[in-house]
Amino acid sequence: MFYDLHMHSCLSPCAEDAMTPNNICNMAFIKGLDLIAVTDHNSTKNLPAVDKVASSLGLKLLYGCELETSEEVHVLGLFNTLEKSQKFQEWIDSKMPDVPNDEEYFGYQWIMNEKDEKIGDEKRLLLVSLNATLEETTDAVHAYGGRVILAHVLDRANSVTHQLGFIPMDLPYDGLEVKSDEQRLRVIATNPWVTEDSTNWFIDSDAHYLTDINEPDHFLRDSVFKKLWGDEL
Amino acid sequence: MTIKELIEQTGWKLSTPSLSTDIEIKGAYCGDLLSWVMGNGEPQQAWITVQVHANVIAVALLREFSCIIVADDANVTEEFAAKAAAEELVVLESSMPVYETAKKLVELGI
Repeated sequence: MFYDLHMHSCLSPCAEDAMTPNNICNMAFIKGLDLIAVTDHNSTKNLPAVDKVASSLGLKLLYGCELETSEEVHVLGLFNTLEKSQKFQEWIDSKMPDVPNDEEYFGYQWIMNEKDEKIGDEKRLLLVSLNATLEETTDAVHAYGGRVILAHVLDRANSVTHQLGFIPMDLPYDGLEVKSDEQRLRVIATNPWVTEDSTNWFIDSDAHYLTDINEPDHFLRDSVFKKLWGDEL
Repeated sequence: MTIKELIEQTGWKLSTPSLSTDIEIKGAYCGDLLSWVMGNGEPQQAWITVQVHANVIAVALLREFSCIIVADDANVTEEFAAKAAAEELVVLESSMPVYETAKKLVELGI
């Protein structure tokens, strides 16, 4: 399956307003992707709309979010059902500091329906770190039936290697996300306990703009998908 | 100045009481981005941080810091203290913010 498991909708303040459920799903569909995940910052609230649009197109969807831990490390939590992701929202809410969003400065946080109509705003700023450590966040995603991918692990901001120096040896993550094959080799070279086969590797776009969504360049084998998320999609 | 003398002067809590504090401190380094600290810390410095992830211990050992000073009442867990003690790395806790903690070291001539 050609995939892109990291992109932001118009619910993320830093994403362009054109990242609506229909635009995202149709762009992914036109590009020839088979599987996507929408992963807004600390929120799953646009997933009900994305779910409806994706299923109307026959596009496979994982139900995601990009969580920011107390160490300011970004991790993807990816669930195989909408229900699990919506239940997980309760955990997010329990760990979210109550800082109001300043739309002028950070951008809009729109919640939409499947017709791309705005049905609400997230009032709390989503660009915050949750009151949960990397370990606690990983455990929580697992407890709610999801999988954990450490996001953009070599980025100069909010990556596990930037915040914490290197990839923790005993953290039970399910995958590592890099931007290229060259980055994957660099991760392996600089973290000797990480090997080609010790984890699952993902190359995602982290798209905040429609045009940045992956081209069908990166392939996920069915066996890897089933190992992580089972048959339930 | 040794860690022992620093504790006597400041009253900061020693989170690793099983370890010797007769260790010389030469300068200090402040930072919470571990990648940055890995690249810039110097041996024998005291490292002031609010980061308490287990990777902090590995970075401190790598840079051969004399001790870690966890500032601003950041939550030092028992697990963190036990791991540091097992690695023979002294951990102190200061309830002052990072800036005030660093100022205190300056006052004491570190």
